[in-house]
Amino acid sequence: MNTIIFGALAIMSLFIFFNLGKVKASRKQLDRTNRINRFGNKESNNIIEGESIEIKNEDKK
Amino acid sequence: MSRHSAINRFGRSTNPAFSRGFDSASYSATLDEKMTLDGAVNKTGILLALCFSGAFIGWNIPTLIWPAAIVGFILALVTIFRNPSKARSTAPLYALAQGIFLGGITLMYESMFDGIAIQAIGLTFGILASLLMCYKSGLIKPTENFKLMMVAGIGGIFLLYLVNFIMMFFGSGISLLSPTNGSLMSIGLSIGIVCFASLCLVLDFDFIEEGAEKGMPKYMEWYGAFSLMVTLIWLYLEILRLIAKMRSR
Repeated sequence: MNTIIFGALAIMSLFIFFNLGKVKASRKQLDRTNRINRFGNKESNNIIEGESIEIKNEDKK
Repeated sequence: MSRHSAINRFGRSTNPAFSRGFDSASYSATLDEKMTLDGAVNKTGILLALCFSGAFIGWNIPTLIWPAAIVGFILALVTIFRNPSKARSTAPLYALAQGIFLGGITLMYESMFDGIAIQAIGLTFGILASLLMCYKSGLIKPTENFKLMMVAGIGGIFLLYLVNFIMMFFGSGISLLSPTNGSLMSIGLSIGIVCFASLCLVLDFDFIEEGAEKGMPKYMEWYGAFSLMVTLIWLYLEILRLIAKMRSR
């Protein structure tokens, strides 16, 4: 009985893991301002307001 | 705007010591070379299969457990500190070595407490699935403070392990960590350690989720799966110890 219950629990849990693991987390989890930032900001904003000038390819030539 | 003029001028720090060089690699990765949730979960499946195969070997040849434990430990250190990008080759070997170790340890516990292995396996995967559901639904939200709390707690636990390990050379050890100590204090300590190990899973899920979201390179799938395996193995060992303590009462 012990083996059946815990064996079934293990199989069911693995099934949940392999299915749910591939689903993206909810917006409640992802859209937070206090998330852990492990990889740095991809879109880092280094532009100083009022001091930036847009550089166009035509200007370089 | 922020009050910190340095942040306004230069943006957040890009010191590689803080980002461990993960972000620089992400910019050059093309779409099919990027980390995905599917990939990380599939790789965890591969590592789990290797771990079970190793456990079968360890169960049948118990003399291999200590060499396998040492090899697994070295491989873990290499993957974490030396080169995470090599996780693709080190993580499967780590899973196999740790599987052999777990197989032998489980046999030792099983000879003392009949049926303990299936209980520990069921509870470990049960915790994995329930915490994954909690994480995905947003019920448990890992934050910087959560991470700090976990680092402090794990630091304390590993200090305890280290003291116990050193004491073992002198023929003693911390009795609270003994699997045959069924006192309430000892069981309470084990429950605390199991809670910390379980909450580590949340940090691993968040690591994988964030890596996939930010388009980290493909090898990070192996690294994410490896970190999940490290936590699962720790959790399994602690659950084994907890059940042994409870059944010793």
